[in-house]
Amino acid sequence: MTANATFEQRRRRVGLLFVLPALLVLAVVLGYPIVDSVALALQQVSLRSGVVQQSWVGLDNFRRLFADTTFQRAALNTAYFSSAEVVLVTVISLSIAILLNHPIGRFGIFRILLIVPWAIAPVANAVLWKWILHSNYGVLNGVLKALGVIDVYHVWLGTPASALNFLLLVDVWKSVPFVALLMLAGLQRVPNSLYRAAYMDGAGPWQSFLHVTLPTIRSVIAIAVVLQTIWSLRVFDIVFVLTRGGPADATVLLNFLAYRVTFNFLDLGYGSAIANVVFVLTVILAIVYVRLLWPRERRAG
Amino acid sequence: MPISVSRRTLLHGTAAAGAFASLSRFLRNEARAADAAKLSVFAPLPPDPAPPGAAKFSEEAFARWKAANGAEVEYELLAWPQLHDRMATAFASGSAPWDIVYMSGWVPELQSNIIPYADALPKALVDDLPKSSFSTVTVDGKRYGAIFTLSLLTLFYNKALLAKAGFKSPPKDWNELKRFAKELTHDGQYGFVLNYGDPAGIGGTASYWMTYLQQAGGKMYGEDGLPVFKGDAGVDALQLMVDLMPFTDPGSISYAGINDASNVLLAGRAAMMMNWPFMWTAATDPKQSKIVGDVASAVLPAGPAGSASIDGTDAWTVTKSSKNPDKASALIEFYLDAEVQKRQVLDTGWLPIRLSVLADPEVQAKAPNAAVVLEQAKHPYDSFVTPDYTEVTVAVGTEVQKALQGQKTAAQAIADAQDQVTSIVKRRKKAPNQ
Repeated sequence: MTANATFEQRRRRVGLLFVLPALLVLAVVLGYPIVDSVALALQQVSLRSGVVQQSWVGLDNFRRLFADTTFQRAALNTAYFSSAEVVLVTVISLSIAILLNHPIGRFGIFRILLIVPWAIAPVANAVLWKWILHSNYGVLNGVLKALGVIDVYHVWLGTPASALNFLLLVDVWKSVPFVALLMLAGLQRVPNSLYRAAYMDGAGPWQSFLHVTLPTIRSVIAIAVVLQTIWSLRVFDIVFVLTRGGPADATVLLNFLAYRVTFNFLDLGYGSAIANVVFVLTVILAIVYVRLLWPRERRAG
Repeated sequence: MPISVSRRTLLHGTAAAGAFASLSRFLRNEARAADAAKLSVFAPLPPDPAPPGAAKFSEEAFARWKAANGAEVEYELLAWPQLHDRMATAFASGSAPWDIVYMSGWVPELQSNIIPYADALPKALVDDLPKSSFSTVTVDGKRYGAIFTLSLLTLFYNKALLAKAGFKSPPKDWNELKRFAKELTHDGQYGFVLNYGDPAGIGGTASYWMTYLQQAGGKMYGEDGLPVFKGDAGVDALQLMVDLMPFTDPGSISYAGINDASNVLLAGRAAMMMNWPFMWTAATDPKQSKIVGDVASAVLPAGPAGSASIDGTDAWTVTKSSKNPDKASALIEFYLDAEVQKRQVLDTGWLPIRLSVLADPEVQAKAPNAAVVLEQAKHPYDSFVTPDYTEVTVAVGTEVQKALQGQKTAAQAIADAQDQVTSIVKRRKKAPNQ
C-alpha cells in the first residue's frame, strides 16, 4: 500500500481484503464445479477401468447433441414444459394474489393454506401425487368416478401427452404459492391513491386492473416469470419419482436426461454437455433477472 | 497413626473407583473394537433380497458369526432402484466405503472395482451351486461374485380365475398365453399384468422382451459383440407383447416397479404375470394378498424355440478398496451357509441358490414354486449383461414402450433399437482403455 494512496483507494483495498474470503469460497464451491463441468463436456470420460479415464474430444459431445433424437425430444419437452408452466403459474398466481388482496381474502388462514404445497419437500410432493394419480388406487380416479365424470379408471401417466401434462400440473401446484405471495407483495405496494384517481376518471374494475395494477406490478411479474423459467428448467424430482422419463421418453426433460446420461450410463462427458446447455440457459435468464432487479438509478447512470 | 475415614473421603474414594472401573471398561471396549474387523455391506432394502441382519432371518446365527470372527458389520441399505447410481458414483469418485456390495447384472460394468474372490470359494460350496449361476458374474474367466438366490422369472397365475374361465392348466405356449389372456379380460379384470414403466435394467421393459426373444430363439449379440436381434425372433418377441396389450392391465405402462404389477395380481384384478420367486411369500400372506390359496406358478409359456427366462443375478461381490477382503469373503460364505440359505427362503421367500437346500423337503413344502424355478432353470435364462447394460436396456426398453403404445410397429421399433444399441457398443469400444 503506497503512502500517497488516497483515502478512497485505501478504502477499496481494505474492502477487497474483507471480500476476499467470500470470493475464495465462491470460487471453490461455485467456480470450480462450473469450470470442471465445462472441461468434462470437452472430454470423453470412461469409468470402466477402475479410475476415471479422460481424453479430450473438443466439441464432439456438443456435436453429438444435434444427432441425438433423445436430446431433441428432451429439448422440445422442456420448451413446452417451461413455457406452459410459466404461463400457468403466472396467471394462476396473479389471480390468487388478487383474491388474497381483497378484504375478504386477507385472513391469515388463506395464506397458510396457500403455502402448504410450497412447504412440502419436493420428493414427498412427487410421492403424494404418485398416489393421487395411481391408475388403480388413485384418489383422482376415485373422485372422478364417484362424480360420474369417468366410467373406467384412467392411466393418467400412461400416454405421452397425458403424462407430460400431469407432470406440468404437479409442478404448477407446487410453484404457485411462492409466486402468488411474490405477487401479493407487489399488489400491496400499489398506492390506493392511484385506484382513487382512476375511479375519479371513470375507470371500472377491469380498466383499473389493466391500466393501474398491471403497469405498477410489471417488474414483479417480470421477476416471477424469470424465476419460474429458471425453476422449470431445473425440474427433476417429479420426473424421477412419477415417470422415470416414460412412457417412451415422453417426459424426459433436459435436467433428467443429464442425470440419466451421467449417472445411469456413466457417460460423464456427454452428460456434462447436456448439463452445460441447461446451465447456459439458466445463466441467460439469471442475467435478465439481475437486470430487472438492478436499481433504476444505476442502470440510468 | 490412626487413620480416620470421613464420609466425604469415602464418597471421593468410591467415586474415583467407579470412574476408574468405567474408564478401564471403556478402554477395554475401545481396544476390542479396534481389534474387530469392520465390514461395510451395501445392499438393497427388504423386501428386495437383503442379507441377515438387514432382513429378518438368521439374526442369531449372524450375531454368533460376528462374535466368532471378531467382526463388526455395518449395512448401508437403499431402495433397489437407487443402488446402481449410488454405487457407480461412489466407485467413480474413488470413495466407495464398502467391503461387500450387492450387484444385479452390473458386474461387467463395474468389474474393475471388485475382486475375483469367488475363484477362491471352497469347492464344497461351489459344487453345491448351479454352474450356470456364475455366468453373469464371470468376466474374462474370473469369478467376481456369488449369486445367493435362484431368481428366474416364471409365470404366476390365479388358479381360480383360470378355472372359472374353463382353463385347467396354465398356458403352455404363446398361442395359449394370448388366448387365455383374451378370455380372462372382462369386467375390469385383465388377463395379464406387468411393469412396463421403467425401460432399464433387470426387471425393466427391455428385460421382459429379452425373455420372449430367447423363447423365440433369438439372442442379443453376435460373436463380435454387436447386436443381432433385428430379425424374426426379435420382432416376434415384441409382436407377442403388442398382441397381449389389449388384454394387459393398461396401468402396466405406468408401473415402474414389479411391486406395482404384483399388487394388481394379488388383488385378484389380473390373472397372469411374469414374476420373481419372492412373489410366492407375498401371494400366500393374507395381509398382502386377496388370492391366498389361488396363486400358482409355472414354467413360462414356450415360444417357437421353447421356454426361456432371465436371471435376476443377485450377487455378492467384494470391492477392491476393502481392507478386509478375506473377512468379507468369509461373510459372504456365511450368507451362503446352508442353514442361512434355508432361513432365507423360509423367512423372506427369496429362494436359496444352493442345490442341497433347494432339495430340502421343508423348503419345497414352504416354497412349492422352488421346483418350478428349478424346472425353468433347465431352459435358457441369459440376461445379456454387458458393461453398458443400463444404456442398452434404456434404448431397447424405450423402443419397446413405443411399440406397446402403437407409436411404431414391432419391426420398426426393433430396427431402431438395434441401430441405437450398435451405436452404444461401438462408442464403448472406442472409449479410452477399451
